[in-house]
Amino acid sequence: MTRHAHSVQNVQADSPKPRYRLRLFIAGDEPNSTKAKAMLARLCDAYLRGDCQVRIVDVLQDYQTAIEYQVMVVPTLIVEWPPPVRSILGSLTDEDAVLAALGLMKEGNEP
Amino acid sequence: MESRLNTQSVGLGAGLDKAPTYIDGLDDILEGGLPRGRTTVVSGGVGSGKTLFGLEFLYRGALHGEAGIFVGFEESPQQLRENAATLGWDLETVEKQNRLVLLDGRIKPETVISGGFSLKGLLAVASGTQRDMNARRIVIDALEVALRLFDTPQTMRNELHALNTWLQAAGLSAVLTIRQARGGPSAYEEFFESLADCLVRMDARVDAQITTRRLRVIKYRGSDFGRNEYPYTITTGGLRLAPISTVGLRHKPLGEHMTTGISRLDDMLGGGYRRGACILFAGLPGTGKTLLASTFVAQACGRGERVLYIGFEESEAAMVENVRSAGLDLKTHVDKGCLSFLVTYPEAMGAEDHYFRAMERIQAFCPAHVVVDAISACERMGGKLASYEYLMRLLNGCKERGITVFLINQLSGATGYVEISGNEISSMVDTVLFLHYQPCPGETNRVLQVFKSRGSKHSNVKHEFVITDAGIHLLDPYVGEGDVLTGTLRQRQELKDRLEAQRLAFDIQFKELELERLRLAQKEAEQALARRAAAVNRAMSSTPATSLNGAGESRESS
Repeated sequence: MTRHAHSVQNVQADSPKPRYRLRLFIAGDEPNSTKAKAMLARLCDAYLRGDCQVRIVDVLQDYQTAIEYQVMVVPTLIVEWPPPVRSILGSLTDEDAVLAALGLMKEGNEP
Repeated sequence: MESRLNTQSVGLGAGLDKAPTYIDGLDDILEGGLPRGRTTVVSGGVGSGKTLFGLEFLYRGALHGEAGIFVGFEESPQQLRENAATLGWDLETVEKQNRLVLLDGRIKPETVISGGFSLKGLLAVASGTQRDMNARRIVIDALEVALRLFDTPQTMRNELHALNTWLQAAGLSAVLTIRQARGGPSAYEEFFESLADCLVRMDARVDAQITTRRLRVIKYRGSDFGRNEYPYTITTGGLRLAPISTVGLRHKPLGEHMTTGISRLDDMLGGGYRRGACILFAGLPGTGKTLLASTFVAQACGRGERVLYIGFEESEAAMVENVRSAGLDLKTHVDKGCLSFLVTYPEAMGAEDHYFRAMERIQAFCPAHVVVDAISACERMGGKLASYEYLMRLLNGCKERGITVFLINQLSGATGYVEISGNEISSMVDTVLFLHYQPCPGETNRVLQVFKSRGSKHSNVKHEFVITDAGIHLLDPYVGEGDVLTGTLRQRQELKDRLEAQRLAFDIQFKELELERLRLAQKEAEQALARRAAAVNRAMSSTPATSLNGAGESRESS
């Protein structure tokens, strides 16, 4: 838990009030992980105008954090803020499903 | 892969490296344990104890110095710890010693799926943990929960293939547990079956409303294994199996004769029951089977020997009270600690639980003799098969320990030999006493017959017996002509015989008297003849010879 608390603190120090706080678990540069990283970057740009904190955790480097977050499947995107905490599994290619899970409307129409 | 190919041929069991499960009875069936550094798949339905199998494999392994990783897709580490505590396992201590790690792989219900993914997280986490703690064992519990996330059979197979490749490379002794689908094996199960080196199926089924649990090893590459279905139970301490094939060769020979408590019965059996034998009392209700057993129990306890009475029909108090009227005081023996009752309803649990409970008591109490009253009730543990297995295992357990077993078999009416012997266990039974009724006009009498008695000469004559307030009393057999006769018939026959004898005696006497009378008559006739001869002589001397006839006769008659 220490590691988790520590990393969250870092994020908050960078930007005190992000609209979304996200954590993406990937496994190196395998195709689904690469795809998920690209998709998440695009979604943040298009729908949140960069108003989000994203931490990428590579489970091959940092398996401890994966244990902490009970991540056995990659890629996994965890929405840590706003509550409730949600998980989205996969390469994030189904954009509608990701937006719905984040509580966002399509094409920049914010709720 | 090379070593795997080498072990395809059968008969290399001794050479294959095994990881003992340390689960009671299981390593006997597996001929040493699970294949070390390879994958075992344990499949089974809900509540069959798969998770426990995995957890015990790790817990006992950890206690023996092999660190293990548990990845659970269904239960939280806290739930696992609590469940384990009910079995007396202290997971937290081995966790603190870094010999066990419980990883939470549960997938949250609100999880959304978008696009492709893989189990690489699991592999990364397992690899890292393995390095950290130098783990030798891994259990992935409820893997099917993770597999259900994959929407096509192809992606699922790819994931399993990746998992299998990783497990082989990691050199961990692995147990994967999967829930067996209700309607038979699903696509991934077939795949599991082909990738696993060892395949174990656990089955909790309900027979006659009672759960019975069976474990079967379906395959084991490169090793021999017990191929039967083995009953198992979940008890204090964990899983427990009863491998019947490993017992049976350690039976103790029959011991010396002991008195039955009835001297005439001792004579019939060539000296009494044999110590360490299995003795069956078969008979209709009320023929006195329980009393016959209790008579021996009282005798044995009187000698200071311990007896365990396993009852399925009556409470301890009822049992003690029932035989008290026949002059048997079992209460004293209970108080002295010589007699112990284990009374349960057959329906209360499955046959294997009954068996383990009985064996636990036998181990704790160390009886010289065990009574099972009645084996006919054992079918209510879940059918004929359950009953048969319970009795076979119990008999084996007792024979190994040289314990005498008395089985009471209540017959339902038909008295075929098969039913008398009971539950197809006749090969295990050394002595059979058959108690039955002999119907006679106006009454019914009890008779006892020795059907079989191994290793001793015995009478095969039916003996009538009566139950008195001083116990069972065996009468001498009626050895006259015709059938065995009992009760009034016997008495009547005996009276008839007596009268016949008297009649014959009278007859003789009568004939003797007749003879005497004849003798007397003869004597009288002789005397009359003599008198007449004398008279003739007198007449001849007083009258002339010419008028001899006429004159002589007229004188006589006047």
